[in-house]
Amino acid sequence: MNPFLRRAARWLTFAALLIPSPSRAANPLTFEKDIRPILKAHCFDCHGEGDHPKGGLDLRLRRLIAAGGDEGPAIVPGKPDQSPLLQFVESGRMPKRDKKLSPSEIALLRKWIASGAKTARPEPASLPAGSSGITEEERSFWSFQPIRPPAIPRTSARDRVRTPIDAFLVEAMKSRRVRFAPDADKLTLLRRAYLDLIGLPPTPEQAAAFLNNPSPNAYPDLIDQLLGSEHYGERWGRHWLDVAGYADSDGYSDADPPRPYAYRFRDYVIRSFNNDVPFDRFITEQLAGDELARTTDADVSARVVAEPRTRDLLIATGFLRMGADGSATDALSDRDAVRNQVLADTLKIVSTSLLGLSVGCAQCHDHRYDPIPQADYYRLRAVFEPAYNFREWRTPAERLISLQTDADRKQAAAIEAEAAQLGTEKDSKQKQFLDEALTRHLEKFDAALRAPLRTAHDTPPDKRTPEQRKLLADHPSVNIHPGVLYQYNAKAADELKAIDARIAAVRARKPPEDFICSLTEPAGTPPITHLFHRGDYRQPRGAAVLPGGLSVLNAIGQPIEFPERNPDLSTTGRRLAFAQWLTSGQHPLVARVLVNRVWMHHFGRGLVNTPGDFGAMGEKPSHPALLDWLADDFMKHGWQLKRLHRLILTSTAYRQSSQRTRDTEQRDPDNRLYARKSVQRLDAEAIRDAILATSGALNPRAFGPPIPVRPDEHGQIVVGEDKTQGDNKMPVESNLNGEEFRRSIYIQVRRSRPLAVLHSFDAPVMEVNCERRQNSTVATQSLMLMNSAFVLEQADRFATRIEKEAGPDRAQRIQRSWLLAFQRPPRAHELTDAHVFLRDQVAHLESLAKPASTDPASKKPATAPTPEHQALTNLCQALLSSNEFLYVD
Amino acid sequence: MLKKLTMSAPLSSAFNAMESVSRRHFLARNAMGVGGVALAWMLREERLLATPANIPRHPVSFDLRRKSPPRPPRARAMISLFMHGGPSHIDLFDPKPELSRRSGQDYAGDITFSFVDRASKKLFGSPWQFQRHGQSGIPVSELLPHFARIVDDVTVIRSMHTDINGHEPSIWFMNTGRAQPGRPALGSWLTYGLGNESQDLPAYVVLTDPGGHPVDGVRNWSNGFMPPLFQGTVVRSAEPRILNLDPPPHLKGPLQQQNLAFLARLNREHLASHPGEADLEARIASYELAARMQSAAKEALDLSGESKATQKLYGLDQPETREYGTRCLIARRLVERGVRFVQLFVNGQIWDNHEGLKSNLAACCRKTDQPSAALVTDLKARGLLDSTIVHWGGEIGRLPVTENHGAAEKAGRDHNGQGFSTWVAGGGFKGGITYGETDEFGHKAVVDPVSPNDYHATLLHLFGFDHSQLAYVHNGQSQLLTDAKPCRVVKEILRDA
Repeated sequence: MNPFLRRAARWLTFAALLIPSPSRAANPLTFEKDIRPILKAHCFDCHGEGDHPKGGLDLRLRRLIAAGGDEGPAIVPGKPDQSPLLQFVESGRMPKRDKKLSPSEIALLRKWIASGAKTARPEPASLPAGSSGITEEERSFWSFQPIRPPAIPRTSARDRVRTPIDAFLVEAMKSRRVRFAPDADKLTLLRRAYLDLIGLPPTPEQAAAFLNNPSPNAYPDLIDQLLGSEHYGERWGRHWLDVAGYADSDGYSDADPPRPYAYRFRDYVIRSFNNDVPFDRFITEQLAGDELARTTDADVSARVVAEPRTRDLLIATGFLRMGADGSATDALSDRDAVRNQVLADTLKIVSTSLLGLSVGCAQCHDHRYDPIPQADYYRLRAVFEPAYNFREWRTPAERLISLQTDADRKQAAAIEAEAAQLGTEKDSKQKQFLDEALTRHLEKFDAALRAPLRTAHDTPPDKRTPEQRKLLADHPSVNIHPGVLYQYNAKAADELKAIDARIAAVRARKPPEDFICSLTEPAGTPPITHLFHRGDYRQPRGAAVLPGGLSVLNAIGQPIEFPERNPDLSTTGRRLAFAQWLTSGQHPLVARVLVNRVWMHHFGRGLVNTPGDFGAMGEKPSHPALLDWLADDFMKHGWQLKRLHRLILTSTAYRQSSQRTRDTEQRDPDNRLYARKSVQRLDAEAIRDAILATSGALNPRAFGPPIPVRPDEHGQIVVGEDKTQGDNKMPVESNLNGEEFRRSIYIQVRRSRPLAVLHSFDAPVMEVNCERRQNSTVATQSLMLMNSAFVLEQADRFATRIEKEAGPDRAQRIQRSWLLAFQRPPRAHELTDAHVFLRDQVAHLESLAKPASTDPASKKPATAPTPEHQALTNLCQALLSSNEFLYVD
Repeated sequence: MLKKLTMSAPLSSAFNAMESVSRRHFLARNAMGVGGVALAWMLREERLLATPANIPRHPVSFDLRRKSPPRPPRARAMISLFMHGGPSHIDLFDPKPELSRRSGQDYAGDITFSFVDRASKKLFGSPWQFQRHGQSGIPVSELLPHFARIVDDVTVIRSMHTDINGHEPSIWFMNTGRAQPGRPALGSWLTYGLGNESQDLPAYVVLTDPGGHPVDGVRNWSNGFMPPLFQGTVVRSAEPRILNLDPPPHLKGPLQQQNLAFLARLNREHLASHPGEADLEARIASYELAARMQSAAKEALDLSGESKATQKLYGLDQPETREYGTRCLIARRLVERGVRFVQLFVNGQIWDNHEGLKSNLAACCRKTDQPSAALVTDLKARGLLDSTIVHWGGEIGRLPVTENHGAAEKAGRDHNGQGFSTWVAGGGFKGGITYGETDEFGHKAVVDPVSPNDYHATLLHLFGFDHSQLAYVHNGQSQLLTDAKPCRVVKEILRDA
């Protein structure tokens, strides 16, 4: 075959893989496969799912279409030009409101009618009222099929297969004639593994230990070491917090009040990852920790204080408390709307994180693209509604459970009594001051007026005569009250303030009361869940909806339903039953969704590249067999995440080089076949953490309350306590004593205040949750690296660290800076270039410094850096801003 | 659609790799170019989830690309000279002969005071004279000789009211549509709706006073519940002028150039060992764009190219007007270069003349009168006034009664949210008219009252929007600048209503 033909043939094969099925189909078009999805997306809302189809026309079945509506048949099989349905969509008269049909959809419809408007099989005799039902085509969609372990493909030695993962990948590569890239070198592997597993670069010492270890087990040992690191949970827990929608504030309202105890859930997640808690267990604890612990409203307070395990289980339910919740504060909104939103957001978090489906679309009507009838949404809602009971609603504050012991409580009461005493003292002083102020002020008036004014003033407002009211209105300055006392007697007002301060000081001695933030379910009769007409909570319709799973997963005639009530528990047990179904090993989505997400973080792209959508609008898996094998293997071996990491990291797929070659560029430019490792940019937290680690500033302390954020004087959000002074709210610098250099996962996630340095590198703003992060390359990131106070300070610290560790010699310093930033020594020409850079910078800085030093009025601070230090700082900044630092091969 | 058809990919080879690089480059450039600098940290498209009540969530992207409003706009840009503190309308724009006549007598109506101790009901006639000016014959206080020359180009609204006396709630109301903190500012709404015209400058610029931030600080240019993309970018009067855009002074000039050149060498060498990695190349390009943005901003803020006459017009030659005049001139240059919304603040609360009205109000006018008028004159001369709205005004006015500090020359005026004046010019507003009236003492807006929501609805109208349609979905609810309050477009003050 000549080269051109060969290329053309390759092109054809490739194109065939990419072009969607309809145009490939030699098979006749059928209603179920080709036409119904179009009509479902555009038309069913008015013509099928409502109580009364518009114009009497129901489009849910071929025979109903042919039968037609008030104006007669909608299609004439074989005669598209005589089919009103086609005319209506072609002219754009229909759909009325919705997006119009695309030309290709219209063409398909025409072709189907022309070819006789066939169905794949006899149509059902009836459909559920108001629902489009679920077809066989929909039921056979890939992600709803049971997970069955596929056979591992056979491979040969030259395929460099180290794990079953590689075998599956090689199998897919064969037809495209590509192979794995060569193994990456040890240095690349080292950086890759560190940043991937713990989100921090190795120190030069850690790097040397690995690079100089000749053992063939050096790499597997490194993986074990990193998986054992306490930093592992900080890295991988953060991935889970994304899908859980973790935030340290309630959101919803403009005030966005802090959620001061949410951090316990964050710490629970980190610990669970570090302890490799089996994921089925982890899921169950988060969905139903309270039901596992069998707490009741009566005993929960005592048990969380007394039993650490119970406490952890209750903290785990914080997962269901992650959604924004305006029910504490937002008085402006409809109360039930706010509550409904809390539940809707929670269902979104649950469904996208665990089911990989946008179930929320079925809140108002049957899902347009996926076989999720509206009733399914409410079956899922019924699982959670007992804990989010509108009638027995618990606000965020009411969801807190105190960790105070009895002894603490007694002590607190004693201190409160002391404060109350001071309060009494203040009250009497205040009364006296107000009295004196009035007396003094009255002296400014005619003697004759004084008595009536005083009487009017001292009379309670509702008892004043009209004359007294007028008298006071005419003499407004007599209306002295505590709020304006300062205007009359500033000293007195200050004295009262001082008492307030004393009261505050007394109260500050109270043992701090600590809380956990959890989901609990009120005992008693659970609320009845109804389907809401068009998703409107004010329009409940029909019979009670029972808790259950997605009906598309039902074996025909066996709906997945959970008991309304578990008699062994004080709660309904619905969430526990739901969690048990999810983790039963039978659920087709959960394990696929989880292993796909792990894969995505390791490789930069999921096997299904829409990790939150495994439905019709999502991408199909690039390697379905591999996905199923991984999911099955994951469940079979106890849902152990660390085992899965080890499996992936020891694969050839992971260990190969990221170098593009001519061949792979031609045959697989987007690396869908994994014939090389993709170059990945560090994510936001890893960039900030790596900068801190390299500069030496990183404070590795784990866990605890979040480090606060505040707006700086420009409004940019930085780390710091939100203290201001003056009317114009200028920020007051406060010393956080190194806490500001904690890892990013410990920085407060205030929804309305995304930390600028993280946000600019694509950390999500938690409106609900984040299924996949963006990866942007924008100028603001460059500006942040060039000029932000954060980076400048870290560059300065980095330079100071080098001076300390490498001594005065420039060559040594350059050497050390490269080792710290890149874990490798500089190449010869880099060393030379850096030398020249330092020399030029020092020369330039010295030329600047001279005139300044002769100027006695120079305002240069005494601590101005030496030219040598400043030049080194600039070198360090360049290293921290470089692509070699920001990307992992 | 998430399915991507890359039909040409297999034809690939080097050419294709190049194309893919340049395509991504283009995207990267576009994403970067749209906005500007920003302390609004996200010029890129951001995917947030927003949902109207009970409607399925769809991903929504935000960016600062230029957008077309639903109707052809009259105005393209706006400069707001925000005079917070409460300029005394009865001494500047709204003459009250009856008040002067009865000066010293007791006011008969009810008044709400903020400072009760100094409260009095003694009417306080304006110490200044008013004269009619221009062809329109609008009366202007002798305190504003420069404003007197532009009256034919402005609409004086004499019936603004917030009905709240406090500064902060009224500022929130005037600036965000609701008398509570936490909502996006007017500038956020405009940049959300219209994006930016400039490739290298921020869309929404705040020019702060070197004397300090306004009351309530940075909240005045907050994006509220919108993404930080729509936050105001502060341009300070001292180095570094724009946070993160300018290097700190000790890195300026050749030092940062050497720095960037060194970084570019590191990155190019890294790229050489990663052929075909478009992201790496895009990041190198993003440094180049950052440098372009630096020079664009530098150019925009550099007044040395302005003629002597222009500088004099703004009062740059006099100590009292130099600072405010400089910022007004910068505002014009920014708008000329495509910036959508510029807001100037003054330091603290200079217009809050509780005490010593006579000397303090006069000082405020000396600082701002000439530069404010110059801005309108200059925009008009350059043909920009038709498409640029200039707003001058505060959040409240002042009471017609004396705030008593003993000596007469110390007399001042307390807060008044019931009625005050604001002027607007350009961008489709009529020239040479007054609109609305306060009562005979200037206490309350009584004829054709204009609320902040009316004012915002009118502005949005000029920008081509129906105020009830420009919505941002937050927490499942459609949010409006006008906060769904009853309000109207004040068509009587528009040219082509």
